[in-house]
Amino acid sequence: MKKLFVAAAAAVSIAVSAVSVQAQDWTPPGPIKLMIAFAAGGGADTQARLIAAELENRLGWEFIPEQVTGKGGVNLLLEMKDEANDGTVIGMVVMESLGYNLYTADVGLSPEDFTPITTTASAQMGIIAGAGTGWGSFDEMIQAGKAGEDIRFGVMSQRLGELAYLLGKAQGVDFNIISVQGGRAVLNGVTAGDMDVGFMAGIQGPGVAAGDLTILASAMSKPLNQDPNAPLLKDLGVDFDGDAIFMFAGPDGMPDEARNAIAAAISEVTSDPSTEVGALIERAFGGSMNLQGADLDEVVMRNFNDSPVLIEAASQ
Amino acid sequence: MPEKSRSNLYVGLFCVAVALVLIFIWIPLDTKTGIVERARGKFVIGDALAPTVAAGFVLLGGLLLLVFERNAEDQPALGPSKIKFVASVVAVIGVGFAIMRFAGPAAVEVANLFREDPLEYRLLRATPVWKHIGYVMGGTIMVSGIIAIVERKMSRRAVLTGIAAVVVLIAVFDLPFDDLLLPPNGDV
Amino acid sequence: MDILDYIWLGIQAVFMGPEAFSFLGVSVSVTIMMVLAGFLFGIVVGATPGLAGPFAMAISLPILISIFGYTPDALLPVMGFLIGIMKGATIGGAVPAILFNTPGTPDAFMTTLDGYPMAQKGQAKKALRIAHFSSASGDTFSDIVLFVCAPFLAIIVEAYLDLPEKTGLLILSLSFIAAVIGGSAGKGLISIGLGLLAVYVGTGEDFYPRMSMGAEGLSRGFPITTAVLGVLIVGAVFKELEEIWRSTGSAKPVHAPAETGDQKLHWADIKNLFPTIFRSAAIGTSIGALPGVGSTLAATLGYTVGRARHQKSKSDDAPDFGDGAPEGVAATEAANSAVSGANLIPVLSLGIPGNAAAVFLILAAESIGGFNPGPAVFRFSPDVVNPELVIAFGIFTCMTIANVINWTIGGVFMRSMGFMINIPKTLLLPAVLLLTLTAIYVQETRLEAIWFALGFGVLGYIMRVLTISPLPFVIAFILGRSLEQTARQAYSATGNDPFFLFNSPIALIFILMSVAVIIFSGRKSKGAAA
Repeated sequence: MKKLFVAAAAAVSIAVSAVSVQAQDWTPPGPIKLMIAFAAGGGADTQARLIAAELENRLGWEFIPEQVTGKGGVNLLLEMKDEANDGTVIGMVVMESLGYNLYTADVGLSPEDFTPITTTASAQMGIIAGAGTGWGSFDEMIQAGKAGEDIRFGVMSQRLGELAYLLGKAQGVDFNIISVQGGRAVLNGVTAGDMDVGFMAGIQGPGVAAGDLTILASAMSKPLNQDPNAPLLKDLGVDFDGDAIFMFAGPDGMPDEARNAIAAAISEVTSDPSTEVGALIERAFGGSMNLQGADLDEVVMRNFNDSPVLIEAASQ
Repeated sequence: MPEKSRSNLYVGLFCVAVALVLIFIWIPLDTKTGIVERARGKFVIGDALAPTVAAGFVLLGGLLLLVFERNAEDQPALGPSKIKFVASVVAVIGVGFAIMRFAGPAAVEVANLFREDPLEYRLLRATPVWKHIGYVMGGTIMVSGIIAIVERKMSRRAVLTGIAAVVVLIAVFDLPFDDLLLPPNGDV
Repeated sequence: MDILDYIWLGIQAVFMGPEAFSFLGVSVSVTIMMVLAGFLFGIVVGATPGLAGPFAMAISLPILISIFGYTPDALLPVMGFLIGIMKGATIGGAVPAILFNTPGTPDAFMTTLDGYPMAQKGQAKKALRIAHFSSASGDTFSDIVLFVCAPFLAIIVEAYLDLPEKTGLLILSLSFIAAVIGGSAGKGLISIGLGLLAVYVGTGEDFYPRMSMGAEGLSRGFPITTAVLGVLIVGAVFKELEEIWRSTGSAKPVHAPAETGDQKLHWADIKNLFPTIFRSAAIGTSIGALPGVGSTLAATLGYTVGRARHQKSKSDDAPDFGDGAPEGVAATEAANSAVSGANLIPVLSLGIPGNAAAVFLILAAESIGGFNPGPAVFRFSPDVVNPELVIAFGIFTCMTIANVINWTIGGVFMRSMGFMINIPKTLLLPAVLLLTLTAIYVQETRLEAIWFALGFGVLGYIMRVLTISPLPFVIAFILGRSLEQTARQAYSATGNDPFFLFNSPIALIFILMSVAVIIFSGRKSKGAAA
């Protein structure tokens, strides 16, 4: 997914310059229903609500946030698909919702039944061990596993479960993969010692800084900000990555005018560290990633189409 | 002396029957992954296990009632008058919410008869007065209707209580908060 | 960061939190004001026959969340308000019990036995003072036990229990609740089973929403508010309305008996009552610490034990229990008030709610996010601040504040609430129903939620008529998902061992205890039937 980041970098500059003009061209015909696929009070939910609050301040648009959680964002997509497509209904999900999750849910939908609007940021997804394990690096974990130690691997989505399985297969270790609901549950499990290691999407920051947690690898297609030397999944024999990218989408057939205006408005507030949400994104993700338009369509579609390949690989 | 209620027997039989239907028909047909499934080369717990265990609790509870508690003292009865009462209250609430749902859009349709550019209720769902039409009508009907059932007569006091309740609730939920939607405005 | 630092942070979070206003240069935090408001509101609700604490908590929650939002800052003000209601409602319930022989809340029933005779003898104010003093003492005692026990229990659980044992513990709690609530193991199990079935609809790990029959409305499952408020509140309102409907015309205006003589509570009275209060407080606290055993049982037990002691030790001219004995009021009120604090021990240390008030505290934590009651809360992480632990100590601080308010102004406010008896239930309950349904809608914003709540309300009504307690249903609904998830995790963690519950000695003991509890109470109810 290297291409993605290059495209994103390019998109940011275009987006930011174009914002002010576009945002004025279109105003929503009524209040905007903002569906949020994440549990209330979590980091992603806060991001969505802060974006809405900032846009209300700046542009006077009215947002009505609503939680539609469950099934990795598929519940939200099913709920959103028949809603009005005039820009008055949008949803925040992760790209995986429109990719692996939508594919696996097998509900007869594809990303083409929706309008991707813009990404906001890419989570700092890492493979993180508890300090209690004593592992200082990925190799030490593998050695422990090969020496016969049971290794409990926490994952918070089915797709990450497949990645953990592939990782174990590539390294010759049979992980006991434990799926939990939500990223905080992985952190709690690893800290409490119920799990040895797990995927964490940025929540590990303070724990790593304090030495309670150890970064073993980056699960993204690029290095982690906190430990640029940690190996990537592709260095460890897995051809897929665990990128978790937050994004907004709307129902199918949203007019370009509305789509571009909303995308531009969201990019503007998320990429500006002087806003509350911009500061949050800067702190948690090291900056925003605003990919939109045809580039975003292409990445989302590729994500969806890669899913059967991953499932095939993990079923062997 | 009235005939002794045998409700434990009926409740027990009902629970056993429901549990058996759940365990052998509904759950197997309506879950995708079975009690266990194979994934990534291992057997894992499927989605049917937990509901099957839950239905097992109902089955066990029903059996306990049938075997040990069938002849317990003072068994309560669910008589037809109670069923009729609760059914009529639920019916009034149902009617109240149905009116709540459609009164606003209907008012917009009526208004459109006199307008050049038609309005759309969905876009007015956060605009005062429009957004309150359904809640006020449906809520008043619901509250005063229930009071009328309980008091066995329709009174002015019942209607006034309904109106007062609706006004107070609008003041509590709607006036202070921009983000909150009174029924039915999240559905339109 | 050691324990003292965390306690200090918790206290600061309450006192230094967002400011409500400042008085003479001293800033008063929102949280403190919320505890006060909740406490006073709780007394009003408790003093209103037909309304009880859990109900007030249920309807306040969506309003509180709208005011404070979904941020970690919202947790303490919201929880503080709910804790205030929980404590206030218990003492409020004694007011109509003493003045009008009508318990304001179910656990004040035993208060009528001696409180009303005292009022008839002209000692209404004195009875109210005794009720308040005993209640506040029981409450304080219970809170102290909570502060000491919950962190230790949680640390032990976290240190010694692995995933299989945690699964076993959840199963044991559910069996215990099924066995002890309502007195029929069969009905308890049915209630638990139905609650679990309800929470398993639409959820699960697979993308297909199980047991939804393909219906889109069911694919997201039943929202927790619809199940909890439906069964507990809507069902209770239906039941009350039906009872009024059957007895139409019998409601007469009531008047409090006139007062004569000395109404003050003297030091000598307190000294006489102290053993009774202490005994009942200990009983209430131990009962409260067990999940599922509510304040009504605590009150009954406190009263019964108090009566036995009283008959042995009383002087000949003192009134017996039932004839207006001050000890009778004290025994009941100390016991039922001692439940609320102790009931938070299983909530905070295990994440298992024991009564309806605890259910709403968990619901609040779940709705707002950022605080998951359970053993993980008490992680004394040395380097990074564990925000959940700060919240936990903040909650303890709120409980202490509520205690102080109770001792200082609680009694005066409580004694002024006698007039609440005159609010006609016929008009109040339908309005309450609209309020509950509106509150559900505001949180869920779809009409399906209303239909679900009505369905659960009818279920709750039928369960009440058939004397199947709805509380196991609600607790099972809350614990159901974590039971399933913990079991799945334990299974995966042990390398897909299907016998994970039986391979660890502690887990095995929990399972054997669960079976024993059910068999024991099943035999007991057979004995009772024979």
